[in-house]
Amino acid sequence: MTINLEILESSYIYDPIQIEELNTKELVPKMVTRRRLTRASKIAIYLASKISSKDERIVYGSSFGELEATSNILHSINDKTMISPTHFQNSVYNTAISYLSMLNNNKSEIITISSGVNTSLKVLQAGAIKALDGDTISLFVIDALNIAKIDELNNCIDFLECGVALKVKVTEEKETFDCENISNNENFPKSLINMLNIAKSINKDKKNIIKIKL
Amino acid sequence: MTIKNKVFITTTSSISCGGNSCDELWDNICTQKSGITIQKDYFHNSIPAIGKINSSNSFYKDLIIQCQNILDKSDLINFDETLLIIGSSVGGMSTTEDLFFKTSSYKDIDTNSHNIDTISIILQQKFNFYDDISFSTACTSSANAIGYAYEVLGKGIYKNALVVGVDSLCQTTVGGFLSLGVLSSAPCKPFDENRDGMNVAEAIACVLLETKSKKNSVEVCGVGYSSDAYHMTMPHLDGAKTAMTNALKLANITPNQINYINAHGTGTKANDTSEANAISETFETITKVSSTKSITGHTLGAAGAIEAIICTQAILNQTIPTSTNLNTIENKEVNFSTSTRKEDINYVLSNSFAFGGNNCSLVFGKVGRN
Repeated sequence: MTINLEILESSYIYDPIQIEELNTKELVPKMVTRRRLTRASKIAIYLASKISSKDERIVYGSSFGELEATSNILHSINDKTMISPTHFQNSVYNTAISYLSMLNNNKSEIITISSGVNTSLKVLQAGAIKALDGDTISLFVIDALNIAKIDELNNCIDFLECGVALKVKVTEEKETFDCENISNNENFPKSLINMLNIAKSINKDKKNIIKIKL
Repeated sequence: MTIKNKVFITTTSSISCGGNSCDELWDNICTQKSGITIQKDYFHNSIPAIGKINSSNSFYKDLIIQCQNILDKSDLINFDETLLIIGSSVGGMSTTEDLFFKTSSYKDIDTNSHNIDTISIILQQKFNFYDDISFSTACTSSANAIGYAYEVLGKGIYKNALVVGVDSLCQTTVGGFLSLGVLSSAPCKPFDENRDGMNVAEAIACVLLETKSKKNSVEVCGVGYSSDAYHMTMPHLDGAKTAMTNALKLANITPNQINYINAHGTGTKANDTSEANAISETFETITKVSSTKSITGHTLGAAGAIEAIICTQAILNQTIPTSTNLNTIENKEVNFSTSTRKEDINYVLSNSFAFGGNNCSLVFGKVGRN
């Protein structure tokens, strides 16, 4: 079975170490909220502002989840010190998208997928299935891996912070480009690659329609 | 959501501190035999009560055994046409902890053994599923997985789906909940005025969903989702109400048609007050309510699937389970079940709520109901 999706909006951002221009101060005016945000939350909020995601249903994906909070907890246990409650509440995989829902007062269905290197493919598939109901769906995939001593774990990813977002709806129209055969010569996290390739191939002057195979 | 096919839970298999099979789990719930134990050596400087599986096998061996049980008990010959849907909050975290605590370094950690999809990698190697997808929304993970299975089968996209709700105990979750001050050092007392917290637990719960009813099947009639958009850890009753109302709407039934609610009921002050208020504002007292977490503990990402199995047992046995350790009811507007007894049950609702204000309610129905 296949489902065709029209890409209504798209945005992506990445950096080898840490993305600087996330505009968090303007997007999250309350300092008390801003201080609790994880890196992935800040990237999610930035991307949502770029694709005008407000109260749509959201399918979010992350392969590694909240690596920094997880790492902080591991160090606390190892050092026999108290775990920070904030680190623990920020360690769940749906943290980033939950902060976004609070910021936008989005009370809709929001699911989080973590399927390793296939995460963005699964986000596209789940998003397509949900979009069959006729509404517009926001899709996000983010991995933020910039933690201390990440080199002990990482030897293949050149971009430690990456995020991509698409706003999609189902269409009966024919696909305008083949999202399976887009070349990729850079070492982005594989978890984002399907959606990142689509976002990078968007032609703003025409309709962009992709075919999702299930 | 446009659903064109009926969806049924046809086969189940589980292991948890509440029992090493679905039947044992149900018997222990009905006879109030809790699997929660005090663990003096589990976490430094504290004595939490937690729910540990009683098995001589490794956790991952038990995972494979539970899935094999599904093949043995169902009509399926293999999983070649089955979508595997994992619901887990920690994935391979306990493996990561073992490696990290040995050397205080990440060097030996393999991401394929750490991430949430560790579970699907293990199961794909053993069983060769048609495809797989893993959900991780903290304590709603496997409830969302069942909701997704209902959606993809109901929309006619896949032939059948195996939901595996799975979380093993690890120091991250036990220590994390300790840091929030919500762990009890005794078996939990959901909805009791004197409740003092929850019990972290582990479980593997497998639920096979198909579009044709078999012997001893239960229908999945609806799913309701919502987000609180309120706070990372403090629940809001409006989110719970919306999830329950959305599930009823999709099932096309009224609140009074629900005979029993298997509540999220963790035993924490915040959850139980909010959930009881949401239930009393949505349902009349004709609907019986209980939490079964005083027997199973809170199995986190596995909770939705293990409680779907409990709901299936309630419908098949036409029995509403009691509320263990509920001595002084806090919210008297809710009709809590205080004894296990036979009742005519057509519909059951199961609640799951999670960090980030992620909510999922599921409605199950008796096959051939009035």
